[in-house]
Amino acid sequence: MQLLIEAIGFGIASGAVIALGAVGFSVQFGMSNVLNITYGALMTLGAYIGLFLIDRGISPWAALAIAGVVVGAASVAFNRGLLAPLVRRGTRAFAIVIVTVSAGVVLQYVIVVFAGPDAKSYGEQSGQTFHLLGMVLTASEVTIVVLAAALMLGLHLLLTRTTLGRAMRATASNRILAQSCGIATDRISDIAWMLSGMLCGAAGVALAITTVSFDFSLGAVFLIPMIAAAVLGGIGQPYGAMVGGLVVGVASELAAAFTNPAYREVVAFGILIVMLLVRPHGLFGAAWATRRLMA
Amino acid sequence: MPTSSADQAPVATHARSALSIRGVTAGYGDAAIVHDVDVEVRHGQVVAVVGPNGAGKSTLLKAILGIARWMGGRVELNGKDVTGLPLQQLARLGIGYVPQIEDVFEALRVRENLDMGGYLFSHRERAVRMEKALDFFPQLRSKLNRFVETLSGGERKMTAIARVLMLDPAVLLLDEPTAGLSPELSRAVLEEQIKALGEHGKAVLLVEQKAVAALGIADWAYMMVQGRVVMSARGVDVLGNPEMREIFLGAKGPEDRTA
Repeated sequence: MQLLIEAIGFGIASGAVIALGAVGFSVQFGMSNVLNITYGALMTLGAYIGLFLIDRGISPWAALAIAGVVVGAASVAFNRGLLAPLVRRGTRAFAIVIVTVSAGVVLQYVIVVFAGPDAKSYGEQSGQTFHLLGMVLTASEVTIVVLAAALMLGLHLLLTRTTLGRAMRATASNRILAQSCGIATDRISDIAWMLSGMLCGAAGVALAITTVSFDFSLGAVFLIPMIAAAVLGGIGQPYGAMVGGLVVGVASELAAAFTNPAYREVVAFGILIVMLLVRPHGLFGAAWATRRLMA
Repeated sequence: MPTSSADQAPVATHARSALSIRGVTAGYGDAAIVHDVDVEVRHGQVVAVVGPNGAGKSTLLKAILGIARWMGGRVELNGKDVTGLPLQQLARLGIGYVPQIEDVFEALRVRENLDMGGYLFSHRERAVRMEKALDFFPQLRSKLNRFVETLSGGERKMTAIARVLMLDPAVLLLDEPTAGLSPELSRAVLEEQIKALGEHGKAVLLVEQKAVAALGIADWAYMMVQGRVVMSARGVDVLGNPEMREIFLGAKGPEDRTA
């Protein structure tokens, strides 16, 4: 029983990181309809920017914020410079996915050129632990769960309570109609890519904080749980991705606790396959899935 | 073959020209669908563009808005050249558009759809405009918090038109606003709501497949066949023209005859 509760605790912590990444992935997909596989490498970039800053004495949480902003800006540049021109030219979706896979590999090896192929670590985090309903979480894990919850709440309020958020949802829903309302959709799209990139970078640093060590494959490995979470929630749906992140996180940790830790990733792959077979529109169904970036 | 009864005074001749389209050629890819079309809409006028399927009516609207590929010609809004301006800038200049399909934000609630219609204005101004739009469509008052995907076809269309009214555009481009509606609802939308828009001083360019009903409310009308204007006259005159009857009864099915 204790093992179960502890596994759920770990699952919530890793689920919070997955949710951060998956929500960013979903915002991006909801806005652009592009399956951006480069997202994983951008997450790795975030982790290495965090490492660069922490090595220079900056606190991990400040590093997380800075890495978020830098990866956000990189995401906007990536979309403006590469994806948007391809979409404008009417390039087929499959070809665009291949471009994002290729760009991800290039970025990953650019990181290797600068940081080397060896495993890296942010070093020892605070040893303080918190006991909650039988779960044992480190201070860093608790901070990440709280931070993820706060960011999700902030995103929710942005999307539902502000004109900017409604304009983002309107643009994701129907770009031509949004333009006919006077909405500068390119600018709105930039903001969405910035936000999703910020979540991606923050998730990269959060993942590195909770990992003993990491290397240039960090984001690529983590991409599948994130996509599984996004698919579970109905891809393009930030709220679904939040729930999906927690489900994938907890399911993976339970599998690791009760079978073999190596099966952690297998669970994510399994969820992805089963969901695509059984409920391709996600847990909440097709009606929900049409409401991109919904409220 | 083009015929015009320009010698018969169009309704509201004293009114200024709101939208003037001169020699427009447009299409998709390399294919021109619309050829050398001239259309004029004055303030307070409902102008209908009718014609059989494939006549290029919707392409004409999309060309004006920069959605279809522009190949030649000129568009003037209140005498000012607006040819090739981006859609969002045309909205800022006072052109509102209701597409034939995908005419609402599916992902948004009715209230949010209207709110986005007034995107260019302050919160306070939007609230005032929303009241006016809801006065026009009181049926929407009780549905403001519903997602539009849960609405009936008629309610969706009302939401689409109410959304564009939030912009308070001087010129309205409506692409088959009765598509998918029942005959009764189509008649109500055309005879009550769209006609009233003209009466409120709007310049309305209405593309409509249900030609008889559209011509019945149109101050002026253009008939297009195979991408060209073949007739322009007062709506009632086009309606009574034997050539129009021939084009429609020859090319179209019973639905249009009864529309």
